[in-house]
Amino acid sequence: MEPNMGYVIAGYLVTVAALGGYTLRLFMRARAAKRRAEVIAGRRG
Amino acid sequence: MAATAERALGRATSRSGERVLGVSAFIALGVSAVLSLVVAPPDAVQGEVQRLMYVHVPAAWLAYLSFFVVFVSSIAYLRTRRTRWDRLAEASAEIGVLFTALAIALGMLWGKPVWGTWWTWDPRLTTTAVLLLIYIGYLSIRRISDNPARRARWAAVVGIVGFIDVPIVHLSVVWWRSIHQGSTVFRLGGPDIEGTMLLALLVGVAAFTVTYAYLLTLRLRVGRLEERAIREALAPTVETPA
Repeated sequence: MEPNMGYVIAGYLVTVAALGGYTLRLFMRARAAKRRAEVIAGRRG
Repeated sequence: MAATAERALGRATSRSGERVLGVSAFIALGVSAVLSLVVAPPDAVQGEVQRLMYVHVPAAWLAYLSFFVVFVSSIAYLRTRRTRWDRLAEASAEIGVLFTALAIALGMLWGKPVWGTWWTWDPRLTTTAVLLLIYIGYLSIRRISDNPARRARWAAVVGIVGFIDVPIVHLSVVWWRSIHQGSTVFRLGGPDIEGTMLLALLVGVAAFTVTYAYLLTLRLRVGRLEERAIREALAPTVETPA
């Protein structure tokens, strides 16, 4: 393996982590906001 | 024109539109990875490390696109005062910050083996770092005011003025002496790049563009859900008479 291949692997892993991590974070924010709205609406009856 | 754009945005941000974009982004990124890592040949001078171009350049171009959307949406907001333009600008700015940070990180990984350093205060690198700071500032401004109209107005002004740095970043390699290479694709006399490499690069840009569209629709849905939660919390409680 070429010695500089480590930088390429690191670059693609950083890309996957950034795009995947942000997508996951958005899903978690969506779920939390939905649950919050439902809990508040539920308390109001 | 604005009404057509709003209708198109409405269709893209529906749940089914979001799912289609998500699956398309996943497939496009997979195809792009195969083309960049397997099909495209190694560079004659830099060898394998040049493969970072297929993610570094799309990330940088998508940062430009994201901030262009912020710019256009900010103008649209100031003209119409419709909150959907403000929401679009906010969502695009957040994704633009992600792409700018990614482009910088990938540039550092590429710079170390090629230039011998992770970072240097070169015009392209410095103006890109300034770009990142401008839009982090844009997102911070949105947290200062509790008044939604004032917050949107301030943000729109920064979204318009801040965009000035995008052409500066792009032309920095032309205006000043730079260690960073100049344009390879958009240059007089046509692209200066081998055919398979150009194909891999263009597919990479297309894949990142679909990913941007997907993240934008997802981020807009998050914004709508968070606003709904706030509305529920602030809604007056109706007392039932005893």
